[in-house]
Amino acid sequence: MHNWCLEVWGDYACFTRPEMKVERVSYDVMTPSAARAIFESILWKPAIRWNVTKIEVINPIKWISVRRNEVGRKMPNPTAKQMAGALGEPMGIFIEDERQQRAGLFLRDVRYRIYGYFDFIPPDQRKANHSVSPEFWADEQELAEKIRLDETEAKYAAMFERRAKKGQCFHRPYLGCREFACDFRLVDPQKEPVELIEETRDLGFMLYDMDFEKDENDPIPLFFRAWIENGAVNADRREVEVRG
Amino acid sequence: MILQALKEYYDRKASDPESDIAPEGWEKKEIPFIIVLDHAGNLMQIEDTREGEGKKKRAKAFLVPQAEKKTSGIAANLLWENAGYVLGIATKGNNERAIKQKNAFIDRLTNELGDIKVVQAVIAFLTNVTEERLSQEECWQEISASNPNLSFRMSADSFLICRHPDVVSRLSSTSQSSNDISGTCLVTGKNARIKVLHTSIKGVYGAQTAGANIVSFNLDAFKSYGKEQGFNAPVGAEAEFSYTTAINTLLGRDSKQRLLIGDASTVFWSKKQSSFESEFSSFFEEPEKDNPDAGTQNVKALFESIHSGAYREDDGKTPFYILGLAPNAARIAVRFWQIGTIAEIAVRIHQYFKDFAIVKPPREPEYYSIWRILVNIATQDKSENIPPNLAGDFMRSILTGMPYPATLLQAVLRRIRSDTENRVKPVRAALIKAYLNRYYQFYPDQNQREVQMELDISQPSIGYQLGRLFATLEKIQEEANPGINATIRERFYGAACATPVTVFTNLLRLKNHHLAKLDNKGRVVNFERLLGEIIGNLKDFPAQLDLHEQGRFAIGYYHQRQDFFTSKGVAESDK
Repeated sequence: MHNWCLEVWGDYACFTRPEMKVERVSYDVMTPSAARAIFESILWKPAIRWNVTKIEVINPIKWISVRRNEVGRKMPNPTAKQMAGALGEPMGIFIEDERQQRAGLFLRDVRYRIYGYFDFIPPDQRKANHSVSPEFWADEQELAEKIRLDETEAKYAAMFERRAKKGQCFHRPYLGCREFACDFRLVDPQKEPVELIEETRDLGFMLYDMDFEKDENDPIPLFFRAWIENGAVNADRREVEVRG
Repeated sequence: MILQALKEYYDRKASDPESDIAPEGWEKKEIPFIIVLDHAGNLMQIEDTREGEGKKKRAKAFLVPQAEKKTSGIAANLLWENAGYVLGIATKGNNERAIKQKNAFIDRLTNELGDIKVVQAVIAFLTNVTEERLSQEECWQEISASNPNLSFRMSADSFLICRHPDVVSRLSSTSQSSNDISGTCLVTGKNARIKVLHTSIKGVYGAQTAGANIVSFNLDAFKSYGKEQGFNAPVGAEAEFSYTTAINTLLGRDSKQRLLIGDASTVFWSKKQSSFESEFSSFFEEPEKDNPDAGTQNVKALFESIHSGAYREDDGKTPFYILGLAPNAARIAVRFWQIGTIAEIAVRIHQYFKDFAIVKPPREPEYYSIWRILVNIATQDKSENIPPNLAGDFMRSILTGMPYPATLLQAVLRRIRSDTENRVKPVRAALIKAYLNRYYQFYPDQNQREVQMELDISQPSIGYQLGRLFATLEKIQEEANPGINATIRERFYGAACATPVTVFTNLLRLKNHHLAKLDNKGRVVNFERLLGEIIGNLKDFPAQLDLHEQGRFAIGYYHQRQDFFTSKGVAESDK
């Protein structure tokens, strides 16, 4: 099983803590689920599940406090009346009425190296494997061909490597929030060693990921005790205890 | 990390018998009036616990069962409440509501503690008391007017009924309700009962008086995965109590561990008991009026401690936390959050004081408070005009030892331009010096030299030399026309520092007329010599100066001006 390493960097990042997600405060370093989403943005198939093993911090941890305008409402689903095309209230929301000023404590000038591998899931176990972004199948045929006969682990490994090398992605990878897009490149840590920040401390409990296995509609948050040791956070699920 | 560090602080305080932090399920509350009953529930008297004079009157704080989270509905606290609930006084002219409130208060007592003897006396009192009887009490007028908090005491006991051993043991055994949903607490990592609504945090400057929340999800857009309220951020009940009690204690009225920086209420604490923790605020605050030297002494102690590596008797390796909070309507936003060891932070604060050291007139304070620095860059020198984010950024730079925010230099230069009367005050000059020196420490430049504490005649910066020139020309004018209304400082400073070439030719021509007016020829020679020295450093008058050069212009001007005042004795003796 290949363990890939991606170097990702960006001007800003916000790996929001759940307890401070309204007036956002970021975790000190990238969370495993944010790293997973970057791998998924390059390649995701129903047949593969990404696992993050390590997050290395290259740039020193710097903060910035920003106040922004945001919207305080969710877009509602259309009512039956609206679907039927009856005249009445418009569906949209007017952002001027729903404006919210929210503060955020973000990270600045970040650069990480993230390590991950994927599990190849046999067709009969695929039900609960979800992407961060919802799937849109082109048509019935594509949906039906969801499980293809010619797929193998090696094929997807090669696909990922080819795509990552070329800088291709399905959607723009980002650092915690969609607005903080990031750059990435596939690196070989043996050939290109890098110096990490000199920090060793306890980061407290950190969100590991959401668990969709038990209940798809009410996922359980998973947490793990994060330690930064000489600039690296071990997030290998086979080694750290994940609670939830 | 923030909540975890707060919980640590609570745990530390709770295990210390000397501290008066509230145990779980309880809180400290100021109770101005206590209803004293006999064993049968007859009113003996109403006791006034307040001390002090006039508006400064403050009630004594008592340990009472933790308050219910109040909304517009009716929710009664246990054995203490405001007069509206306890006595059913219609405080807002709403009689119906008052009756409901009183019933809710009695019902809760009967349901939860009805079989305890002392509580029965309270219930008897509540059901039998008449307004006629109450109005005989001295403080009745005040109670019915201001709706204060009330609690109960037996005449034979010295403690409140809510602290009666029977009540305490009952409350600690029934605090767990079984039908709550449990989950993994994100603070402790343990499986715990998840708190749906978190206790309000009071004492953040500018927030609603009823309190605001750090953990709250008060709009649809804040929810994730269809989760409601506290389930968006699972925090166990115990952790929730610990962190809210800790922060409320830190923000409390008597707390010495809080500080206002700009608009951010800042609290700080160390992992272990430390004297740094209790004296931290004196480094940044205005000195107390009755003891102006206290802060200075602490700074001096800090300077000495740098050599030993620890602050006074503290262990330098102890982690130290600084949390800056600012309100945003019903929520609290984190402005900054810094962790470091006491030794690290002490070194950085030491560096900050060194940055700001500059030659200054004797009546100036030796060290400036953050407030004094910020107010001097704000429009009209008013606190409310301090740019909100700047204070936090400035503080963060001090605590991390990073360069000061660029907006700080812009703000101070703008203020110097607009303040025609004072221009470069000592505190502004100190700020520019601190900014520039720290900037070039991080981004070294061969062509720049560090700005000194006092006049540096060989400073290679052209802005600095122009500043000196401008100060000299002003001094000549002042001496030629004593008591003049508007000097060149009022009229030309802005233009001189931004576009020197447009003003200096003119000013140098005027200078000749001013020198001609001086009677003392020795003085004229001195000035000519000084001008020659300064102009000798210049090749040309530049068309513009960039911001950093404008900063050096201000310092050159300030240094030269200070030099005129301090070396006056020498100058006069050698004429």
